[in-house]
Amino acid sequence: MLSRLHPLPKLALCLIWIGASLLVFDLQFQLAALALAFFLLWGVERIALWKLLALMVPFALFGFGFLTTSVLFQRDSGYAVQMAREQGALKADLSPGLVLFTRVLACGMISALFALTTDAGRLVRALMHHLRLPAPVGFAILQAMHLVPDLCREMQSLRMARAMRQGQGLRRIPRPNELMALVIPLLAFAIRRATRAAIAMEARGLHPGSRRSQLPQPGMTPLDFVASACGLLILFIVLHLI
Amino acid sequence: MTCAPPPDAAAARGLSIRYPYAQADALGPLDFTVETGERVLLLGPSGCGKSTVLHALTGLLPSAIPATRTGRLQLFGADVDTRSPAEWADRVAFLFQDVEQTLVGFTVADEVAFALENRAHPPHTMAAAVAEAMTRARLPENWHARRIATLSGGQKQLVALAATLAQGGDLVIADEPTASLAPHAAHLLAECILAPGRTALIVDHRLGPLLDRIDRVVVLAPSGRLLVEGSVDKVFAHHGATLVAEGIWTPAAVRLRQKLQDAGHPIPPLWRVEDLAAHLPPGLDLAPFLLPPPCTPGPEVVRLEHADCAPPFGPVVLRDISLSLHAGQVLGIMGPNGAGKSTLAACLAGLAPPKAGLRQGPPGALAFQNPEAHFSTDSPRAELALLGLAPDRIARALGDWGLSAQADQHPFTLSMGQKRRLALALLTETDRWPVLILDEPTAGLDLRGAAHVAACLRALAQAGRALAVITHDADFALSVCDRVVVLAEGGIAAEGRASTILGDSAVLHSVGLAPPEVAPLLHRTTLVRC
Repeated sequence: MLSRLHPLPKLALCLIWIGASLLVFDLQFQLAALALAFFLLWGVERIALWKLLALMVPFALFGFGFLTTSVLFQRDSGYAVQMAREQGALKADLSPGLVLFTRVLACGMISALFALTTDAGRLVRALMHHLRLPAPVGFAILQAMHLVPDLCREMQSLRMARAMRQGQGLRRIPRPNELMALVIPLLAFAIRRATRAAIAMEARGLHPGSRRSQLPQPGMTPLDFVASACGLLILFIVLHLI
Repeated sequence: MTCAPPPDAAAARGLSIRYPYAQADALGPLDFTVETGERVLLLGPSGCGKSTVLHALTGLLPSAIPATRTGRLQLFGADVDTRSPAEWADRVAFLFQDVEQTLVGFTVADEVAFALENRAHPPHTMAAAVAEAMTRARLPENWHARRIATLSGGQKQLVALAATLAQGGDLVIADEPTASLAPHAAHLLAECILAPGRTALIVDHRLGPLLDRIDRVVVLAPSGRLLVEGSVDKVFAHHGATLVAEGIWTPAAVRLRQKLQDAGHPIPPLWRVEDLAAHLPPGLDLAPFLLPPPCTPGPEVVRLEHADCAPPFGPVVLRDISLSLHAGQVLGIMGPNGAGKSTLAACLAGLAPPKAGLRQGPPGALAFQNPEAHFSTDSPRAELALLGLAPDRIARALGDWGLSAQADQHPFTLSMGQKRRLALALLTETDRWPVLILDEPTAGLDLRGAAHVAACLRALAQAGRALAVITHDADFALSVCDRVVVLAEGGIAAEGRASTILGDSAVLHSVGLAPPEVAPLLHRTTLVRC
């Protein structure tokens, strides 16, 4: 259902929640934001649990740094922890590191909520259409999205050729030295591909600064307004309750 | 009072182009015209400057591609430099060779609308224009919001065709547009961009679907100068021998006529297989001219038994495959786009072990479609040295593969034909791999390059290697393969002797493949093949 929403109001709502998460230094609020984003992704969008947990790993590692710093080195706690104490919103029995930890997780889960329920092409189109993102920039972003699977295919060929030469099996995760050896050929491939794409765009009339129109895009629907209002209402209620 | 004739759509006078740091011109001096309402086919051997001409026409070269251009170049009576390449897009539609790398939109509708948006086409009529172009290119209506990334190579080419039709220029320029298309799609493309009254300049090696719709053929020599021009009949029937000698693609009938002439069977000038059939000496066995020399299959080298094949770390795409490769034999692997040909190749080579079933045999080598995947040093000499070859053996190998002059050049700067030859040299100049599989080895090659690859394959087979070739080109498969396997819908659709499978139009059409051009003559082959 969230995938059907217009990307721009969804982006605005997610940014508001992330902003609130950054400003409100309260464990309950962070847990509520985390739980809500998790519920929407797992319960509503039916995203696999393992995928959500895997997505949270980098955020958890980052947040864990705050937690350990706060718990193990209270005197030497970092700037963020110090600022948290000065905000005065912290209850005495709770470690500020725990709040920072959950805040990172909440922000990460809200970001994942947006990324996993938004069509990247539609987002770029909406940015070009409504927020005047320059067309060359917009189409360059779309090209970058096309490049990723192409690079993966090219890397697969390069790895197979190397494995064949060396008489070894193909490892699922390449070793660091293998990755280093792939950098130059992949870079050459990416540059060549980007050059061809740029030439094709120019040949088909894309010119910086020239006037251009836009293929009409699906606009906002009542569902977008309802969803945005609900998101804001829930935020207000949560803020009121803590 | 008489109306002045419309100016030529394109005209070049003394056109020469030289790339930076090159010692000689890549093209020209060249004079040619494309009249309004004329459909011109541009031919020439690899590296003669065909794509250079196309890029120069709208000024992309030298504005986006560094080069020095001399001579006069006009579009619709105006010097090409009076407008930028982007501004010419309102009159000239460009269909690029490699659509995989030149599609710009995220969805099909984005792609088709792109040129219209750039021309500030009114938004309220744009959706209708997009829908009309999609209908003409026979794209399903529900593809409107489909992501480009989910399409196959052939489907992307059709989307590019729809985008070209939506652009609606007065002149269409197309660089090898039918290269990755299924036969019906290639005919549709020819129908759309070469309709009577349209003005088009097209470069293509796959001549079958085009020639009936071409008004004039312009042929470039290896030097980038004009070799011959004229009607299809004049160029192919009367200058066929010259074209074959220069390594330029011609209809199969022209090549076969040349072989027959060389063998002492005079045939009048012609270019259609149907005409050739009427002039063949009675009782002449065409097998020596169309099929590889007879061979005796050696021992089995690799065997797949009820194998489920999948690309490395990917899902299964072929199920229950039972197949064997024999020493001294060449197996052709054919099938529509996405049938799993490359996956089968990786499985046969042992690079992607089957998910189920069995693969028996030594590790093999796979020559990738992109030959650059094989290069890891800074020169062909260094690449061969990595195999552990002695300097005299390296020099001999470079000479055998026609790479002596490029021995110390960076592999990435070689031409496509040279890169392909180097990749093959790296896989065959060592005895390490008794099994060799080649993925589209003739892609991007001219007739001479393809003939060289064919000769190498037969020589390797004769030396006892087990070989398999993935190819879309049925005529090439017929000339080098002893057996052919056709893949479709996740399995083997047909397998057997090459001349039998490739002579069975019903089987080939059922999986969307085109029979070889010489298929009507296969009943004149009588020798028993292996």
